[in-house]
Order: sequence, then structure tokens, then C-alpha cells
Amino acid sequence: MDMNEIKEIFFQECEEQLAELESGLLKLNDGDRDPETVNAVFRAVHSIKGGAGAFGLDDLVSFAHVFETTLDCVRSNRLDPGPEVLKVMLKSADVLADLTNAARDGGSVDGARSRQLIKELEALANGEVPPASAAPVEPVVKPVAAAAPPPVNDEGFQPVAFSFDDFDAPEEPPLMEMPVYDIVFKPKSDLYAKGNEATLLLRDLSRLGEMSIHCDMGALPTLDRLSPESAYFFWKISLATDKGEDAIRTVFEFAEWDCDLEISLVSDETAPSGEELPMQPVPFDLSILDDEPAVSVGVVEEEEQLAAQQRDIRNAAVSAAGTASNVLQMAQSATRAPTEKPAPAAASAAAQSAAAQQAAASAGTPTIRVDLDRVDRLINLVGELVINQAMLSQSVVENDTNGTSSINMGLEELQQLTREIQDSVMAIRAQPVKPVFQRMSRIVREIADMTGKSVRLITEGENTEVDKTVIDKLAEPLTHMIRNAVDHGLETPEKRLAAGKSAEGTVRLTAKHRSGRIVIELADDGAGINREKVRQKAIDNDLIAADANLSDEEIDNLIFHAGFSTADKISDISGRGVGMDVVKRSIQALGGRINISSKPGHGSVFIMSLPLTLAVLDGMVVTVANQTLVVPLTAIVETLQPEASAIHSFGSNQRLISIRNSFCPLVDVGRILNFRGTQANPVEGVALLVESEGGGQRALMVDAIQGQRQVVIKSLEANYTHVPGIAAATILGDGRVALILDVDAIVAASRGQSLKPEMSLAAVG
Amino acid sequence: MASKKTAQKTLSLAPVLDLNEATALHEKLLALKGSDIVIDASAVERVGTLCVQVLMAGAKTWEEDHLSFTFSKVSDAFEKTTQLIGVEIDHLMAKEI
Repeated sequence: MDMNEIKEIFFQECEEQLAELESGLLKLNDGDRDPETVNAVFRAVHSIKGGAGAFGLDDLVSFAHVFETTLDCVRSNRLDPGPEVLKVMLKSADVLADLTNAARDGGSVDGARSRQLIKELEALANGEVPPASAAPVEPVVKPVAAAAPPPVNDEGFQPVAFSFDDFDAPEEPPLMEMPVYDIVFKPKSDLYAKGNEATLLLRDLSRLGEMSIHCDMGALPTLDRLSPESAYFFWKISLATDKGEDAIRTVFEFAEWDCDLEISLVSDETAPSGEELPMQPVPFDLSILDDEPAVSVGVVEEEEQLAAQQRDIRNAAVSAAGTASNVLQMAQSATRAPTEKPAPAAASAAAQSAAAQQAAASAGTPTIRVDLDRVDRLINLVGELVINQAMLSQSVVENDTNGTSSINMGLEELQQLTREIQDSVMAIRAQPVKPVFQRMSRIVREIADMTGKSVRLITEGENTEVDKTVIDKLAEPLTHMIRNAVDHGLETPEKRLAAGKSAEGTVRLTAKHRSGRIVIELADDGAGINREKVRQKAIDNDLIAADANLSDEEIDNLIFHAGFSTADKISDISGRGVGMDVVKRSIQALGGRINISSKPGHGSVFIMSLPLTLAVLDGMVVTVANQTLVVPLTAIVETLQPEASAIHSFGSNQRLISIRNSFCPLVDVGRILNFRGTQANPVEGVALLVESEGGGQRALMVDAIQGQRQVVIKSLEANYTHVPGIAAATILGDGRVALILDVDAIVAASRGQSLKPEMSLAAVG
Repeated sequence: MASKKTAQKTLSLAPVLDLNEATALHEKLLALKGSDIVIDASAVERVGTLCVQVLMAGAKTWEEDHLSFTFSKVSDAFEKTTQLIGVEIDHLMAKEI
């Protein structure tokens, strides 16, 4: 694995951390004061800083560092995360994301913005805390003066790789204001003879806090006079920890008879006694010492201890538990437990529970990262498999095996299997919409800032899953719509107050599954659409005739027309007149529909309905004028065989069908698609009752139903060109291409009785 | 230079340098006395204090003998353990490989 791959993984992790950071901050913003939330936020920034340090991404490190410092003030309850503080922090999260992106893609960032935020963050860290901890990093730095990294905002800040493991410890203390202890540790030869190991003791010690160490080798003789199993080294240690002297003594608990130990507390003012000594800081990742070989230490020691004294058995418990990484807290509690007569079982119990904890930690979400190309290839192949299986079924039917049950049963099983495979494969690519929604919260913040409005974004159903291809294409239209909602939809705080609303506007973004589609709603509580203004604008732009009689819904839908903008002046944010028509087109390209409903004074709701996947579709295969078409099953409410008595003519060439005492317009699909010139006789065909997104039911006339099956969607746009009224194509079992009907387009066209691009406007204008 | 090169010996350290290995390591080093020595610590997975003591005593002895005592390669575990216990080995690292 080369450096670039590692770096790529780092950036992927950064994305996760940034998402974590943002959702944590938003939780805090909503009043969540759970210390775990604060810790999660802190960890996210800390991890990014640590990783960035390893790659020498200095900009990122220095910003993350300042951010982290401020977050630490929150973590240690020295800074209350009020709305103003969180505003700065959310902005900082955005800048951190920008810096991360810039580091990955080599782009540039707004230096002024990040400098400004650094100032604000530092002000938060300094201004609202007592002077003793005004520069929170310093107390940590002091005791290790010899190796002190430069202070917070120094350009030459030196990143140190850091063990993130320890941050999993739930009671991880803030790193500042910690007392510093000077420790002199002189092992006797017996210590080693009894199977103790100074390295393990020192490792456990280093986990209590920030540690610097000096090894005194003065007693070390030359090789010929050396007794290899005697103790010559001794250590002077400076340790900053808030866990107290007892915790330090606990580390040495089982070795105290075999060593000389002096522990003294150093006050902040007095220089550490070890200052003149060349102290080595020990803030590096020690997890490597916990790896597999170290586990065997525990085992070996355990074996040794079986024959040894109780004291040593307890020691094995320490080292066994200590060897499992991430379980520092546990190891300590195990050793602190006042076990006067620890049974040998204690050792294995500690080891076991340590392992269990480790397993639990890793069993959380076992995931792997897979290249999307590989998944796509798999999905394509499964698509081919489905087509092939259909072809096989067809040829068996055609060759008429007289219904030999074994072949038919085998085929049925194959069909079920392929179906299951397909579902599973699609599930691989299904992802929650959360990342897209999270991006929106940033956009809301930025637009709110630019427009001087106060906006609250509420997201719901962000764990709703949808195919990744859909998610990827969702971000752009959604961004447009959010911008519009904040810029045009919501009023200024003054106007809101005047209208008797709260000054803070609300934008609600909701995702949910509904009958095999994902429905995304974007609602604002703004002024709603000013229909008079829209209408006037449309007349001015020659979109509609001055005397056109339009329903409210039709007026609302005018905003989806190209070149339409109601904003009086064109702003930076939206209102360039390329907004909603682009949105509508991208949604349509996804096989989706978009609708608006608006209540003057109460706001607007945009409802998007999108397919869950762009790869397969459950459809009803029908015949229309000798052509095979596929109607998406999700659109069909019911099918029925019309009787002559139920058909009623209406107007010049409209027909209605009476279903359970209500009338429903009859739409001749063959006519709309120009498959035939004359109207088909409804009695000879089948009516499919469909529900269209615009509301209301229509009965689609087709000649016959062939069956129901899952079809693999092949894009018509990509392979041919867009055909009005047709959503896509598929390949049938007999190898022929069948067109998939765009039910909404057909229904919309039925109003105007012809199929043209922009049919809804053709109908309106 | 040529004579020095031929006199240079290499000692590859065992993966586990614990209590038991200290005596063996001591003997191995004693046997190599009088030659320049290059220590390969790349395979080390675990090293205890006693073996570090032996190695440092070796470094001291070689220095007194005015012979070269260097580490050609060290494993991560070896490096981290020495750092942890505050034993500086940077000056013993081979400068050119």
C-alpha cells in the first residue's frame, strides 16, 4: 500500500469524521448536553488533526488544533456551548471541511475566512476562561519543557502522531490543568527475575497522561562486566495526569517490592526537577506494543504465574488486561479492585472480559470499503443475469416441454434466486440520504448568513435508504431548492415578526419511503408563493396569455418554467432564473417527479418522488397497438376490464370510465404515443387505473396485459435519445426491446391530448 | 577501509527479546567483540528492558574499543519500546544504507 492509498483512506475517514462532527454540533445546537456528544465532536476534530499531522497537512493541522482547543474548553465545561459559540463552531466545521477538501483536491480555501475563525475560536477559548487556563495547551506543555511543542497558534506547530485509542476511554480527562508528578523508578534485579517488565510498567504509566522520560544509564557497565539479568537502568519520569498519585502507585503495585519508587507532586510554578535532564516525551502511539506478540506476553506470564505466588498472579491480570488495547480503564479498575485473595481465575477473567470488550468494540459496524465501480459491475452483471433468466424461461415455454415439472420447478427456483441476488446486490448500493441532508445544513447556514435571515433546518428520515446513484444526483437539485427556500421562501426576520411569526424561519427536509419510491419533502414556513406576482411575471415573459384562466396549482407550477424568477433583484444565491426548471429537469432525469403546493402566508412545500433505484423496476408488461410496453407497477392502482355501459363520451373526443360511481378520464395510450390514429374500443382492451403525482386517477387504456415481471432498466437517453412519454427501455425475455412508460408524462399529455416536451406548460399556456 | 569492511559483522536479533534471551544476546555480542558490528533489529516484535540493557552495554563497549556499533534496521516495535523507556538510539542508527 503506497502513501497515496493511505492518504486516500485518511480522507475517506475525514469525511466520516466531518459528518460526525457536524451531526454532533447540530445535536449540541439543539440543546443536547450529553458529554458523549461533546466527546464525539472533540474526537472527530482530534482524529482529523492527528491524521493531517501524519501527512504534513499544516493548514489543516493548525486550524484543527485551534478548533480542538476551543472544543476542549467545552469538554471541560469551561465554555458553555451557547448558540453564539455553536455558530462559530459550525462555521469552523465548514472551514475544516473546506480545508480537508483543499488538501485532497489541491484547491484553495478562503484564507481570510479561516483566519477570522481562528481568531474567533481563540477568543472563545481565551476570553471566557480564567487566565490559568487561558492557553489551555500550556499546562500540558510545561512539564515537558525540553520537548515542548510551540504554543497554539504558532505557525511552526509540530504535529505529533497520537494514539487515538485512548480517546475511546469514556472518562478521558481534559488534557489541561493536570498536576505533574516527578517519578523516580529504580527497578531491582528481582523485578525482572520475577517476570515483570519495566517496559510494560512504563507503558501503563504513559497511559495515565502526558509523560516524559529520562533513562539513567550511568550504572551500565561494559559488556564483559555486565550481568545480563541484573537491573542497571533507572528512570526519571515526569507525568502530567489528573488521575492522582494512587493511580501511579497502582501501576507499580505488583512491582513495588522489587523497585525503589519515589513519587512527588510538582506544582505548576516550580520548574520540573528533570528539566536539566534530556527528557524524551512519550506521546506516541503505543498500540503496536499491544499487538499480537504482546498478547503472548500475557499468556506466557499467565503460565508462569500459575506456579508463582498470588501477588504475581494478580500481575498477570494486569498485563493480560493491559495488552488488549483500548481497555486501559478496565485494566485499571481490575487492578484497583480490592482483591485480597485473587483467584487465578481473576487473571483469565480479566483477559476474557478485555477480549470481550475488544470484540464488542470491533463488532459494532463491521464494514468494508468497496470501489463503487466493482459494485456497479456486479449490478450490471446481475441485470444481465435477470435478462438471461427471462430468456431461458421464455425458450422453455416456447419449446413446450409439456410442462415437465422438474424443468419448470428448476426455472422457478432460478427465478427466485436471481430475484434475491438482485435485491441483495441493490442493497449494497443503497445508502442513507443522511450525507446529502447534512450538506444541506451547511448550505442553509451559509445562505442564512448571506441573506441575514435566521433559519433553522430540521431534517427527518435521514436514514432512509436509496440507491447511491440516486443520492449522488440528488444533491444538486436539493441544493437549488434549499437556496430558493431560504432566499425566496422565507421572509426577513422583521417581516416575519410583523406577520406574527417567530423571527427564525424553519426549513424542514423530510425523506420517507412510499410505495417503492422515496419521497423527499422540502417545506418552509415562509410567505408562500405570491401567485399574483408569478402570474404577472409569466404574462410579462409571454409565458401565458394575459387572460389565461389558471388554477392555483397551475400558477404555482409556473415557477418550474425555464427563465422564471420572481425575485425583484437578482441575488448571488439564487434568482438567476436558472433555478427551478433545472431542478425539475434533474428530477425528471432521475425518473422522479416534483410538485409544489403553497399556502400564502404559511409557506410552500416541494414534494419530490424518486425511484429507489435506477437499475430495476417491477413492471406490468402490456401490449398497445402490437407494441410491448412496460408500465411501472408502483403507478398502477388496479386493472379492470371495462364494460360498454361504463364508458361515457365527454366533449369532442374525451371519454370517461365510471368506476364505483365515480368518473375517471380514460386515456388511450396508443393514441397518445401515436401508435395508432383512431381511438381503440375500450371494451376490447384493459384499463389500468393509475395514480399520478399531480393527484387524481386516470384509466390508461391498453390492448392486453402480458404479465408482471421485474425488468432491468436501460437508459433510453444514454443509448438513444429522450422520447416524450417514455421513461426508459428494457430487454425482454425474447430479446426484444420494450419501452417503459412514463405514466405521469402520459397523464399530463392526456390533458392536452398530445405529447410534447414541457407538456405541462403546453397544457397551461 | 577495506579491512574494516571485511571485519564488519552482522547480528540479526530474534523476534522476541525477553528475559530468557538476555543471556543469549549477551553471549552473542561478547563473541562478536573486536569487530565492527551492524545490528539488524527489523524482526523484533517484542523487546524487554534487559535486552535493551545488553545492547546499550554493547554500544558502550564498542565505543570504548573505537569500533562501530550501528543498527541497520529497526522494527517499529523496537523503536517504540526504546522511545518508551527513554533510550536514545538515534545516534546508533546507520546513517547510510
